Amino acid sequence: MTDHDHDHDHDRTVKPMVDEITDFEVLEIALRELCIEKGIFTAEEHRRFTEFAEQIGPTPAAHLVAKAWLDPEFKKLALAEPMTASKEVGVDWMEPTGFGTPSDFTAFQILADTPTVHNVIVCALCSCYPRPILGNSPEWYRTPNYRRRMVRWPRQLLAEFGLYLPDEISIHVQDSNQKHRFMVMPLQPEGTEDWTEDQLVEILTRDCLIGVALPKAGVTTNVITDTRQAIHPGTAG
Amino acid sequence: MSGRIEALQEIVERDQVWPVMAAKYGVENPVPPWKTSLDGLCDSLDHAACDENIPNFKERRDEEDALSATVYASLPYPENQLVALAHSLVARGVIDEVELKQRLASIRERLEA
Repeated sequence: MTDHDHDHDHDRTVKPMVDEITDFEVLEIALRELCIEKGIFTAEEHRRFTEFAEQIGPTPAAHLVAKAWLDPEFKKLALAEPMTASKEVGVDWMEPTGFGTPSDFTAFQILADTPTVHNVIVCALCSCYPRPILGNSPEWYRTPNYRRRMVRWPRQLLAEFGLYLPDEISIHVQDSNQKHRFMVMPLQPEGTEDWTEDQLVEILTRDCLIGVALPKAGVTTNVITDTRQAIHPGTAG
Repeated sequence: MSGRIEALQEIVERDQVWPVMAAKYGVENPVPPWKTSLDGLCDSLDHAACDENIPNFKERRDEEDALSATVYASLPYPENQLVALAHSLVARGVIDEVELKQRLASIRERLEA
């Protein structure tokens, strides 16, 4: 093309990029190459796991809950056979990467909130998370601080996320592990009764499906939370 | 595990962390572009953890938590995850420190060619 007569605006279509090779970028490549050369894993395995990491996100989980809110039969299926229900939103837990599970999980369960019980998930041991259906865990979920305090003082910690639950609502903290993953099915909020699945999906944020927030008409973003150092309460001044 | 590793310490000191880079170049991505490849690397290691020196999932995460709170406390996430993983692999003898230094230099040369 010599005329360059198309009508798009290069200034607006080319996004800024980091024009500098960082040490961290170099380090990631170095570790990967050395591991592959030592036969610890193959380049193909790495490529497949990376593709998995690139395509996962919270959208399938949001669709699953929205479908359950709209269809009582699907809700029964989701609670009784969560693996089957997951397939209906495009997630096959047995082969999420197409060639094997990224971790060694063997079970998935959906925890349904009720008017008197609120569920929230954690992994006290490390950072196990329902990645195939909910994507990568947020940074704060991985921190020892969240893990340690959620199992001890859930009501206080949820309040730090802006979720103040009245005392009459019990909080169930479900500890994930390498064999067992969970997600939360919150109650459908008032004022959304005539909404479509796509409208409901917008308010079913990642935070709602972890249990640190409740869905609410008009709220479509996650809470921004600072990560905190793990200071043992016995040693904190 | 908590000893300093010179090659990694130099990286920490240069501080080319993503929040700094993103602000400098006006980029809005919340995480650096190498993050998903790091995720693939961690999953590949977890999948392969049969050699006794290679950390399994729990060991890898425990070491990351401990190192991120101490030696690499100045780094944000996911830089601390990456550097802690490198530290674990060097400390466990999976990767030799000299070999790592040489590889870092040769990769930089390649990328800047």
